[in-house]
Amino acid sequence: MAAETEHGEIEGFGQVSRTVGTVFRYLLLAATMFGIVTLAVLLVYVANDAIRPLTADSGWYLTYFLTLVVPTLLVGAYVRRRDHAAFSFGAFLVGLLVVSLMFSGGVGLLVVDVVPPLVALAFALGLAIPAAVAVVLTRNSHRISFTTRLVATTLAFYLSLFGLPGPIGDAAGLPQVVPSFVQFVQSIPVIPVDWMMVAAVVGGGSAAAVGAYVAGVRDARAGLYAGLAAFGASVASAVVGPFVGLNPVPAVVVTAVALVPTATYAWRGAFGEEGTPVGLVFAATVVGGALVGAAAVEAFGFAGPQSWVDWQFLTSSHSGSAVDAGLYPAIGGSILLMSTVAALSFPLGVGAAVYLEEYAPDNALTRFVDVNISNLAGVPSVVYGLLGLGVFVTYLGRSAGTVLVGGATLALLILPIVIISSREAIRSVPSDLRQASYGMGATRWQTVRNVVLPEAFPGILTGTILALGRAIGETAPLIMIGAPNVVFNLPTALNSKVSAMPLQVYAWSSLFASEDFYTKAVPAGVVVLLAVLLAMNSVAIVLRNKFERTG
Amino acid sequence: MSTDELETDLTRQTENSPRELLTRTFFFLCAALSIVTTISIVVLLVTEAAKFFTITAPLMGVTGKTASLVDFLTGTTWQINSGEFGVLALVSATLMITIGSAVIAIPLGVATAIYLSEYASQRARSVLKPALEILAGVPTVVYGFFALIYITPALATVIPQIGTFNMLSASIVVGIMIIPMVASISEDAMSAVPDDLRQAGYGMGATKFDVATGIVVPAALSGIFSSFILALSRAIGETMAVTIAAGSRAQFLNPLNPASFLEGSLPMTAAMVQLLLGDITGGGLAYRSLFAIGLVLFVITLVMNVISDFVAQRYREEY
Repeated sequence: MAAETEHGEIEGFGQVSRTVGTVFRYLLLAATMFGIVTLAVLLVYVANDAIRPLTADSGWYLTYFLTLVVPTLLVGAYVRRRDHAAFSFGAFLVGLLVVSLMFSGGVGLLVVDVVPPLVALAFALGLAIPAAVAVVLTRNSHRISFTTRLVATTLAFYLSLFGLPGPIGDAAGLPQVVPSFVQFVQSIPVIPVDWMMVAAVVGGGSAAAVGAYVAGVRDARAGLYAGLAAFGASVASAVVGPFVGLNPVPAVVVTAVALVPTATYAWRGAFGEEGTPVGLVFAATVVGGALVGAAAVEAFGFAGPQSWVDWQFLTSSHSGSAVDAGLYPAIGGSILLMSTVAALSFPLGVGAAVYLEEYAPDNALTRFVDVNISNLAGVPSVVYGLLGLGVFVTYLGRSAGTVLVGGATLALLILPIVIISSREAIRSVPSDLRQASYGMGATRWQTVRNVVLPEAFPGILTGTILALGRAIGETAPLIMIGAPNVVFNLPTALNSKVSAMPLQVYAWSSLFASEDFYTKAVPAGVVVLLAVLLAMNSVAIVLRNKFERTG
Repeated sequence: MSTDELETDLTRQTENSPRELLTRTFFFLCAALSIVTTISIVVLLVTEAAKFFTITAPLMGVTGKTASLVDFLTGTTWQINSGEFGVLALVSATLMITIGSAVIAIPLGVATAIYLSEYASQRARSVLKPALEILAGVPTVVYGFFALIYITPALATVIPQIGTFNMLSASIVVGIMIIPMVASISEDAMSAVPDDLRQAGYGMGATKFDVATGIVVPAALSGIFSSFILALSRAIGETMAVTIAAGSRAQFLNPLNPASFLEGSLPMTAAMVQLLLGDITGGGLAYRSLFAIGLVLFVITLVMNVISDFVAQRYREEY
């Protein structure tokens, strides 16, 4: 009170100027837009340099405008007005098809060029059989003690993958007595054709996934039929493929990885409960428009844009001249690195998050680990590179620049991010669910496995994909561990030298600096890298929106 | 007896059954890995850096070429070939990047945070926030390329004397890169300001402008400052953008002189990359200098992270 009377009379009401507020508001908006607009302009520039849209015939644009753009807009507007859910289902379906086609390219690269089909088949069988043993043992878990099951499962995997006495015997100097199942499969004198083995591995995996999904949605019988149908489609595509200009192996991979899952999703979204078949019309318009447009362009002989991002760029390796240079070994390297990083950081990160959220007592050690993880998240990536160089290469004596060293270094780099996001996902599981589980007499591990992890899984997956997106763009740690700037072949083993997409882009823009590379190869590399990142992030965002806990 | 059976049934799955012990141990080891990582980083950096300096090398049992600690910390020339390891040349370049990116990211980031937290509609937020996230998600090597190929030539039309490699364009892209970090942490702090304070302001006849600048920003100040420190520590550790755009010739520049932003120099992180690209033998002097720079970098970023945490905790207004 005293303070107010000291100031004397009130100066008056009603003289508030709106100008200051309005100016301030638009200044803030301008500041917010600054970064976004700058980046957008830069992206337009790089896309223009890489794809060169102005080099296409005007007829090419006109054809696609008539077959793709106009029908998409018309049908899209109609479907959207009638049923918004159907529209988003259709748009999602198209997105799924595009992303899964990209993904099938990666899988094809893995099972054909990195791992020979025979080896892939041998390992798939070598893992499937002990996994089946483990499932049978778990089904009968009430009769066999946990320790027995653990030992039996471990033995089954060891025998199947390594044989007897295996690497342990190697270390002790014993000769191999029983060959491993993996070796046995590879030594069979009569081997099937490549596409059959690819169909067995990739088609089989995809059919199992589809079968399990449908069995979960409907019932076991429907799941079995769906799985068989999916497998049949993969096999059939190898026969049909050559007629539409695809070799059997790529045809099988594309069908198994892209078409079968998309078709399953389309079936579920259109004819499942609350299905919206209208969405299919929209998706069909887009895909059909693109196909018709491609056929028409071919027929009329219109030339498309002379993009630097073309088949040659994606499938050839580095060259001294920018026109012939390609990204193939770097793409393969990035795929292998990301697989290694995911395989290492996912279990370790989720494990640490589960410990900190579900097991850790509230003591000094836990708080220390907590602070430690958030500090690790702030350590610059070059320092992680030094860690990889000093520990893995110099101290442990692994050779520099390999898939394993690079993957392990990047995994350590993103581990704090995976842990932090997994903890958030686990924390958002309502504690009612845990209490209910404990109330039923479940132990801590049973609660974690049956309640916490399934509930938190979408969140954990989203966080991990975003973290992988960070890892795929990292260059500095790879340089630090001695990854070579130029790799001409795909890495085929965990201890072969690896390059990666961002590393190749860096090499082109610094070591091979020339106007030629600046305007051709580097923009093309940037566009491919950003396209992969965009695909990964959109998968993460879709997952997050789909499973976000409401309320 | 039946009761005995019931009892064994119940105790079969206690906290100490093999399965529980195994899973708990696995999860604990995962969490312990983070401590192992930290210890490895510290031990590795300290021991390798110790082998680098004349004063500590005998303790590590290293004979051969070493460098003077005093010269390292006070020298302003970085010339590996002539054996001159003056880290100040690198630190000055890093400092320039930090100052330059702060000039861009701090005002823009805070303005973005105020807009998102006070002005933007729900719909605008749902578009703007993911768009800002993209700024932080673009790989830094791409930013470096943008700075070198598009931003520098654009700047050259305005400032003709600018070098091909210069600190200005590197600072600009690093600044853009860290805007989302300033914005998101500051916005969290602003959203945490209770609505009562705003309503009280409006009740006193304050305009929206008065409330935003006079009430929300002061109340969220600790969070805003901690976002600055975190973002700048990120700028210091930023590697690829500055490696590509800032150049490869180390020179001591006055960070406070705007004209020196037109020249190129070699920030600490870029110096590390450059060392690696040259021929360095494991265990040589150049190899160890790498860890000496790494130690300086690690200590700076760690101290900044701790300060940021401290500011956020200590000066937080409790409501």
